[in-house]
Amino acid sequence: MLEDPAYEQIVRWGDNGDSFVVLENEKFTKAILPKHFKHSNFASFVRQLNKYDFHKVRQNNEENGQSPYGPGAWEFKHPEFQINNKDSLDNIRRKAPASRKPPPVSEEAIQIQQMDLVNVQLNATQQQLQVLQDRYNDLSSHNSAMLQELISVHKRLLNHESVMHQVMAFLSSVDTQIRDQRRHSRVNGTHIFDQSHSHDASAAGMSPQNFSPSDDRQASPLQHAQKLLEDSFTAEEHLEQINELYRQMNGAVSSPPSEQGGRSGVVPMSQAVQPRSTTATNSTIYPRMNGEYQESVYPAGHTNGIDPTTYAEQYPSIPFPIPTTGDLETADSRRQYPTEGRKKSVAVDPGWVRAPQILLVEDDPTCRRIGGKFLYSFKCAIDTAFDGLEAVDKINGGSKYDLILMDIIMPNLDGVSACRTIRNYDSTPIIAMTSNIRNDDINMYFHNGMNDVLPKPFTKEGLLNLLEKHLGHLKEQKTATQTKSPAGSWHSPNQLAGVSPPGAPLADESYVNTMRGHPPHTIDGYPHRRTASEMSGADETVSETSKRQRVYAQPYGNAVVGPMRVPAG
Amino acid sequence: MTETTTRPIEPSEEKSEDGPPALPECGDSIDSTIFEQILEMDDEEEREFSRSIVYGFFEQAVATFKKMDDGLASGDLSQLSSLGHFLKGSSATLGLTKVKDSCEKIQHYGAKKDDTGTRDEPSDDVCLRRIRDALALVREEYNEVEKVLKRFYDSQPQPSQN
Repeated sequence: MLEDPAYEQIVRWGDNGDSFVVLENEKFTKAILPKHFKHSNFASFVRQLNKYDFHKVRQNNEENGQSPYGPGAWEFKHPEFQINNKDSLDNIRRKAPASRKPPPVSEEAIQIQQMDLVNVQLNATQQQLQVLQDRYNDLSSHNSAMLQELISVHKRLLNHESVMHQVMAFLSSVDTQIRDQRRHSRVNGTHIFDQSHSHDASAAGMSPQNFSPSDDRQASPLQHAQKLLEDSFTAEEHLEQINELYRQMNGAVSSPPSEQGGRSGVVPMSQAVQPRSTTATNSTIYPRMNGEYQESVYPAGHTNGIDPTTYAEQYPSIPFPIPTTGDLETADSRRQYPTEGRKKSVAVDPGWVRAPQILLVEDDPTCRRIGGKFLYSFKCAIDTAFDGLEAVDKINGGSKYDLILMDIIMPNLDGVSACRTIRNYDSTPIIAMTSNIRNDDINMYFHNGMNDVLPKPFTKEGLLNLLEKHLGHLKEQKTATQTKSPAGSWHSPNQLAGVSPPGAPLADESYVNTMRGHPPHTIDGYPHRRTASEMSGADETVSETSKRQRVYAQPYGNAVVGPMRVPAG
Repeated sequence: MTETTTRPIEPSEEKSEDGPPALPECGDSIDSTIFEQILEMDDEEEREFSRSIVYGFFEQAVATFKKMDDGLASGDLSQLSSLGHFLKGSSATLGLTKVKDSCEKIQHYGAKKDDTGTRDEPSDDVCLRRIRDALALVREEYNEVEKVLKRFYDSQPQPSQN
């Protein structure tokens, strides 16, 4: 084409043979381009040339600023485009603009995608951060609330401690006084003397083992304080016993105390008959209480101290709460105390030193009423909360309870959450009341700070057992007698908790016990301990008893320590 | 000291004592052991306390059934589940075994589980249908125990109402 002379005036090789020159733009465009290209656009042609790396030779390279081929001429060069070298034409290639352009485009797309991705991640991260921030705020406010609560609790504990010291000091002074009196009266009352003997003997055997364990558990100031509290409670019990003893002695020696007669209506004569069984039960019940104490009461506040595995053996029995025990006992009681059979239900008195304050958290009115009624019959002071939120509010509001019975599934705030919240600043024993008692449920309760589980539907026995288990420190020793009553109680399936047969026996025997059960204990300041074989219905209960002692070993060791007290008044 | 017997005593035997009058035959609808201990809480002959509890439960049950109807209508499974749980608790406390069991099933169905609460049931429709059936059943069971209990209380000395 370039060599075609017909076009010499339009396009030809450059003078040096290394370029071609378009001399006449217009003619080239109109006459030649259409023959070789699909268009007749010179600009397009130039663009194509550029793509193949042809470059226009600049006019200003010329000295005169004029193209040697005349104005309006376009000269194009390519290193491989030479007049005599057709082979090198193969080297003239399109500059792969297509491949060059797409890359930038896709890179951009990728970058955009990446940006999007990053943005999304950033947003997510920011949200997470926000959540964390909120959570942190919550926690920190919570924490400060906890701290305050802790401080106030600490103060209260200190106060308690000092009060307890004072009380103990006073009691010990009283004790010496009482001992003198006792020694005096012992000479007078023969049967009392005997009792004291047997009592001494058993006390010698039993007490040491009780003491040692109790000494082990003063790890933290809190425990120490609690122990002090417990001391005081048990001390009160002793005081009570001593009072009784004192009265009794007076009765035996001189005139029957009027107060006693009025209160229990029991004839003093029976005192001489029953002390044995009474004390026998004491020996079994005490160990239990202490053991429980360690396990459940102290751990309160140190939730990590609760080892779910220790409860494992109890699980099996949990689903069968209401065994025959109740039937046995109530039936027995009816037979034995026909006239009081009905009253018993109302008058059951586990023998608290003071009425335990129980918070019953339950949304179901039926359960709440029945639970409340049971508690009432056990001489507990009851407060109720409709749901977890109300319970937390009550605790926050400064209400103090000895025990909290907590339903699990409730509106607003469930029992587990409520428990976890309360645990942040309060160590009151919390019992889960629920029908969800699969093992993982139960483990979850314990992990969230619950101290025990009362399966629904609960029974009076189950409830009372639980109370005695967790409120042992509020009990008077006389309660022990309850256990002795129907031998059947020992067969109770819910042995674990199982202590006391609620029901009539309590009412009746408790007073009996008040009078005759105590004297022996108080004489030496030790509860009278006996072997299980001495108990009524003892034969088959021996093994049970020993089991208990093992499980709940060591109780009132300290309680027993300081019996002292003055006749009330 | 009065010797106590170690012989196990059946609840029915207990009833024949001067304890709570025997409940009418109600098969396994009512766990007499549990119900009796509520009766034991009554003062003297007037069964004021247990009566009020039981009649309170009647109201509660009827109201709950009504709410369950509403829940079925609106397809609110979680509401149905919690209603089931709610009534389960009170019926269990009274020893109304059958009603309790059915309520428990409703609780499970509402939670999108099978009747034992162990397996998931993904279909809302299936759950709702099961609840509908269970609700019909529990109503029957409830009517049965209601009749028994009302007869029982009617046979008791009437309280001096207060």
